[in-house]
Amino acid sequence: MVSINKNIMRTILIASYIMLVALIISGVSALFSYLNTGADRSKMLHTEIKKVEQYLPTINWEPLQNEGRPMDNENLNALQNDYLDAWYVKQIAYKTNKTAGIKDYYTDSARENLFAFIDLNKAQDITIEATTLKHNPTLEFFSEDGQMAVITDRNVIEYKRVFKANKLVLETTETSTYQMVFLLEDGFWRIRHLVKEEADIYNKQPKQIAVDSLNIKGINYYPQANPWDMFGNAFSTDTIAKDFKIIKDAGLNSVRLFVQYEDFGKAAIDYKKVDKLKQTLDMAAANNLKVVLTLFDFYGDYNVMSWTLNQRHAEGIVNAVKDHKALLAWDIKNEPNLDFESRGKDNVIAWLDNMIDLVKEIDTVHPVTIGWSNTESATILKDKVDFISFHYYEDLEQLDEAITTMKKEIPNKPLVLQEFGMSSYSGLWKPFGSSDEDQANYHKKIQEQIAANKLQFMSWTLYDFTSVPNDVVGRLPWRKNTQKHFGFIDKNGTKKPAFKYITH
Amino acid sequence: MQKQRTYLFFLGLILLSSFAIVRQNKASVVMKLLTTKTDFEVGQTVILQFSNTQEADKPLLYCSNSYGSTLITSTIKNNTLEYVIPENITKKIGVINWTILNANKSLSGTLHILPKAEVATMETYIGPPSIEAGGTDYTMLVVIPTDSLDNPVPKNTLVNEKHQFLSSEETHDIFTDKLIAYRNIYSKKESGRMLVSSESLGINSKEFTINVMPAIPTGFTISATRPHNYSDGNQITTFTTSIIKDEHNNVVSDGTFVTFFITNQEQYVLKTTGTTIDGVATSKMIHPDYADTWSIKAYVDGMSESNSITLSYKQVIEDFEVAFSEKNRLITVGPLQSFMQQMIPDGLHIKLKIYKDNILVETLTKTSFNGYTTFKLKPAIYSHGNYDFSLETAGVAKQFKTIKLW
Repeated sequence: MVSINKNIMRTILIASYIMLVALIISGVSALFSYLNTGADRSKMLHTEIKKVEQYLPTINWEPLQNEGRPMDNENLNALQNDYLDAWYVKQIAYKTNKTAGIKDYYTDSARENLFAFIDLNKAQDITIEATTLKHNPTLEFFSEDGQMAVITDRNVIEYKRVFKANKLVLETTETSTYQMVFLLEDGFWRIRHLVKEEADIYNKQPKQIAVDSLNIKGINYYPQANPWDMFGNAFSTDTIAKDFKIIKDAGLNSVRLFVQYEDFGKAAIDYKKVDKLKQTLDMAAANNLKVVLTLFDFYGDYNVMSWTLNQRHAEGIVNAVKDHKALLAWDIKNEPNLDFESRGKDNVIAWLDNMIDLVKEIDTVHPVTIGWSNTESATILKDKVDFISFHYYEDLEQLDEAITTMKKEIPNKPLVLQEFGMSSYSGLWKPFGSSDEDQANYHKKIQEQIAANKLQFMSWTLYDFTSVPNDVVGRLPWRKNTQKHFGFIDKNGTKKPAFKYITH
Repeated sequence: MQKQRTYLFFLGLILLSSFAIVRQNKASVVMKLLTTKTDFEVGQTVILQFSNTQEADKPLLYCSNSYGSTLITSTIKNNTLEYVIPENITKKIGVINWTILNANKSLSGTLHILPKAEVATMETYIGPPSIEAGGTDYTMLVVIPTDSLDNPVPKNTLVNEKHQFLSSEETHDIFTDKLIAYRNIYSKKESGRMLVSSESLGINSKEFTINVMPAIPTGFTISATRPHNYSDGNQITTFTTSIIKDEHNNVVSDGTFVTFFITNQEQYVLKTTGTTIDGVATSKMIHPDYADTWSIKAYVDGMSESNSITLSYKQVIEDFEVAFSEKNRLITVGPLQSFMQQMIPDGLHIKLKIYKDNILVETLTKTSFNGYTTFKLKPAIYSHGNYDFSLETAGVAKQFKTIKLW
């Protein structure tokens, strides 16, 4: 017994000794290899491939007619990249009151001016969140040796939020004209002189689009098998065509579809997905259905620094399908008011406001709306949108009153009840849930109310789903299971009693 | 009852009047801009004054210039609200836009900070630093005159561009536009160094040097010198170019690379190179060791070429003696005598070809020493028997048939 214990002791001792030696050796070798690493030659000339895009305002170069040396694409690209980076680092610097990055994009003497502002704002607890949405640069001059350039950037649209002691004191959009001298130093185009030549407050009110002919009797649509992943691998035009036919035959005239921000490639649009979207629109057109397209689904970051990226996304999608005859309207965002608390109401509204401007600028034909999740939020940006959309999952007794209130506040725009419905789920997770009959009664009742109030409507939803991703309603099984049973048609394809009341 | 009513009436009146006062107060909250001046010279103190409003909360002023934005707090002086624009804003030219951050943000405007006609530093950039002579190539001088606050000067400020080249000194007037002034300076026909400077409002830049390099070389001639015209494989022939010049008669830059191509009678090409000093490139080649005729032509790669010259080399060895000894295994070649019957300088190649049954067995090459060379055929390698030998040197060959080794 004693000898066994001794052996164990010995083994432990030897093992720990070996471990210790191994640790020391690995430590020394790590230190040694660290000391042996030098500057990476490939990085000295900044020839490495640049980072991901993080600042992408619209940039429209005027035709090149500069004095001096003729400009080539490579140099112009480098200049544009560094110019936008200069804006980006400046925005970050004024947001955080830190100087990181400034020295790469402003020359020794120019950066002093930025540092002065940072010191001033830091001392007074002022921070500025800003972004530029549009640039119209003209290359004025490019020196013979390719080391200097002069650019005039006309009517730059700058959006700013000024905070004092973390309290928003000003939100403004300005349009300014800048003239700049750039020097090529250490492989960077750096700003040497920056002169604001003109400044004005930007106050563009996009044109309202006539919605007199709007008569939405529709439904929110996801395929039964792949809800919330409509344009993924399981995308099938046959299924969609079949479903659209069911919708048309039921007497409806429109569907609401969702374009997910990340799924569609964020700022760099995934055109394979856009292609599938177009095919879906073709199917809708073939079935005489119109489509309300909801943008930015599953997107929840309204950070000013990401605006340019969001706008490139919207631009890509809107440009791709704005001429499609099945398109009825743009729904900027689904239920953005749910993000008020976590992302800040001001942030969200400003984001929506600017996004409406952008969409309206690109597409001057189709009306724009926002899918508010309740009736109280419906008045937000009421002058900007062309028609009002709201969702209603509450007590039907109070619907009439809510509509009366809304109509009083928004007398001149059509109201669309864009989502409503009832889950017919009752089971383990919700023993006292509703039955198929309850659901039918609900739809019967609400259709009467819709008719009485002359609302337009889009119900939720065509099918019962077999699976619901966690992103939609979270992980909780009673929520998930409820969400699975909102359909007019069950998962086996049988029409539920409510189908009779799919429209009035 | 009556009393009570009167009491209520008065109370009501007081209440109403208090409302009236409040109303009045609200109505008078109209700030007005008192400062009428909107253009300021850069560096001046800028104060925006507003008519006072008894307003307890003094609103902030937002203002923004070329480089950034900030908020300014006010002070009250003589019943006016004063906003002092910070120095870092007033010392940069350009537009300042401002807004009073009161409830409706209705008061806003712009100020112009105008550049000063004053130059403190001349930021000068010139490039490319070397250009070609001939009057078509040019370098560009870019000047950014800046004032003491590091602002570009007003548009159309006069800048004198000055340059000296050989005997000429020139001055040209240029004017600033889009923050800079620039001028293209063309080369002249001559090569040399050009000194460039500039001046604006009494401030001079430093001196810059531009190298005006000769243009590409034109055709040239070559010559050859040699100690004698014998093909002794020992002496050296030197090739020299004429002074290589460009089309404007400028001597090409030192170090211009010249390649001499030598083609012999067999159409083999030998190559030798040299670089120019003061326009002349030289290069050398050892004499052939047999009679030959060379044709030589030189090139500056891709730019120009010379004439072609021909050189002939006379045979030095007409004949030589060969002796077999030590069972024919020791072959002594020599004496090898040159053109004055002197022993040929060491190092002449002698080639021995050994044939057995008309099949080449081996080629041995040796060089001469003191006019002789010997070949020793070892019995271990060359067994007994009859061999044929061929000896070649200086282009002369001699055959020996059926020599018996034993």
